[in-house]
Amino acid sequence: MSNDTGKSVRQRPALHPGRSSDLLVRWSFMFPAILLLVTMLAYPIFYTIDISFSRFDIASFGAGEWVGWENYIEVIDDYRFWESLKVTMIYLVIALPLQVVLGFGIAYLINAEWSGRGVIRALFIIPMVVAPVVAGGMWRMILDPLWGIMNYWLGFLGIGPLDWFGDPNLAMAAIIIIDTWRWTPFIVLIATAALLALPKDVFEAAKIDGANWWSTLWSVAVPLLVPVIAATFVIRWLGAVKMFDIVLAATYGGPGKATNVINLFIYEEAFRSLRFAESAAMAVIVLVLTMVLTGIFLRASRKLEELF
Amino acid sequence: MGTVQIRDVRKSYGAVEVLHGVSIDIEDGEFVALVGPSGCGKSTLLRMIAGLEDITGGEILISDRVVNGVAPKDRDIAMVFQNYALYPHMNVRDNMGFALRQRRVSRTEIVERVDNAARILGLEPLLDRKPRQLSGGQRQRVAMGRAIVRNPNVFLFDEPLSNLDAKLRVQMRSEIKELHQRLKTTTIYVTHDQIEAMTLADRVVVMNGGIIEQVGSPLELYDNPASLFVAAFIGSPPMNFLEGDLINKTNFALDDGTVLTLPVADSSNRSRATIGIRPEHFTIGDTGWPALVSVIEPTGSETQITARLAGKTIRVLIRGRTSTRPGETIHLNVDPQLIHFFDAAPVPVVAELEDVA
Repeated sequence: MSNDTGKSVRQRPALHPGRSSDLLVRWSFMFPAILLLVTMLAYPIFYTIDISFSRFDIASFGAGEWVGWENYIEVIDDYRFWESLKVTMIYLVIALPLQVVLGFGIAYLINAEWSGRGVIRALFIIPMVVAPVVAGGMWRMILDPLWGIMNYWLGFLGIGPLDWFGDPNLAMAAIIIIDTWRWTPFIVLIATAALLALPKDVFEAAKIDGANWWSTLWSVAVPLLVPVIAATFVIRWLGAVKMFDIVLAATYGGPGKATNVINLFIYEEAFRSLRFAESAAMAVIVLVLTMVLTGIFLRASRKLEELF
Repeated sequence: MGTVQIRDVRKSYGAVEVLHGVSIDIEDGEFVALVGPSGCGKSTLLRMIAGLEDITGGEILISDRVVNGVAPKDRDIAMVFQNYALYPHMNVRDNMGFALRQRRVSRTEIVERVDNAARILGLEPLLDRKPRQLSGGQRQRVAMGRAIVRNPNVFLFDEPLSNLDAKLRVQMRSEIKELHQRLKTTTIYVTHDQIEAMTLADRVVVMNGGIIEQVGSPLELYDNPASLFVAAFIGSPPMNFLEGDLINKTNFALDDGTVLTLPVADSSNRSRATIGIRPEHFTIGDTGWPALVSVIEPTGSETQITARLAGKTIRVLIRGRTSTRPGETIHLNVDPQLIHFFDAAPVPVVAELEDVA
């Protein structure tokens, strides 16, 4: 007995852990994460903002003389900047709704209980694990005007041959097809999870109430899914505004500037033309635009959630 | 007419059979409760009547028509779910009118029928609200309204009151009963709460382990339980059971050697038996079986006494109040008519009844 008590007394630290050492422990746990965030996120952003207001000094590879809004004015006067923004908008306006509708549609269709479901779901993940540059290269081969398999198939239908990367509209279509191939599975995955989480008994009630497949879809499933659809749209939007790699690998912005999305243009300006200050200004403008639009989307999706 | 016949119905999930041949005849206008512990197959049976589960074997007839292959919407039934299953994005009016809209009923008739159902259930002020703006009781009432507007041949209720608190449950219980008396629609009501089954139903079907233990009116089940299970399941507080040897017809030796003199002889020839006595069928007298009082629980109108009789805990319920104190010995008598004899068997563990009101 006495031995036990002695032990427990000895185990207790001589001093009560004070406030300062408690704080130290807390901060030391957070330090690695903070360091990572500062070096990987905060520093590059502030560096970009800094050089966007300066003349870029190639020698020191940093901000030179402060020039105020000069870079911004130059960018806004540059018609190529607006062209690229327009190209990006076209891509977003077509690709996002297409992917969300396709993703939820496929999820709804494969949601029924059937034996092949697991295999199909697994197959759907493949496009997501392929590196975007590889996907771009792969599709470049598939869509090749001369020996690509897509034109070969379309030939059976009496279509083509189509010059996928030579025609401006078709090139944009090709980019959207590749992007959709790559990202729809992600939405299918989210949608499948959302469908599985829906209350079963509401669908059973609809069955008893006499709702057919179509009215179950529109009167029950879609309204129940609206919050998830809105959230998925925002997530996909955040991914899509960063669109770069697939364009880089498939069309490199061409033909002409038909698929020259804003991120590719910024990259070109910086690392090909070495106009770092101007491209930094563009990056900041795009960042602000993205933040504003994301804010609007988030607000809208919250409104939708209240509605349903 | 709204008759339901269930003929030797079986249900298997893969190799596991959960319903082992169940037959019930339900008359038009009857209120039948399916009651039993969880896992007994009562909800499965109800869902098979609704058409939400396939029928593995046997036949179900609604209004004299075999419905085995008929879609739920064509069975002319309405169902009230445990979790209400209201359409969350529709207001009360649209929820109640949904089935009629699916049937292309004219707009004016929908309004008329929804208003009528809302009046019956007192939902008129809530018609424009969404389900999430309603309390549990109101939601359940909307679910019932959705069933009423259909004017179906059969109402199916799947544990509709389980999600409500005890007080509301009692209130909704009498509302359901009143509704049935008013509409006289055939009703099948699934519950695990025997009080609900007893108070609501014309006939109670006690199920256990995928078979029917007994079918009868509530008082038949209470007075003449056909099995130890029914005896243990029906009645609150539950029946007391004593297992022992019948030395002769009226001398009953418990396992610890105590010999009780029974006021009535066992009608069949058993050497070993379990006797069942309901707590409310004991009377306290000057002579009789001695029992040591351990707990006294007065509720005003009646008093529940927990006592030890030959080492076994028994419950005694007497009307009014008592001056007996814990630690004292009381002498128990039983009306000869009110002793139940069963073949000796372990008393089935029946899920303890939750907050019986």
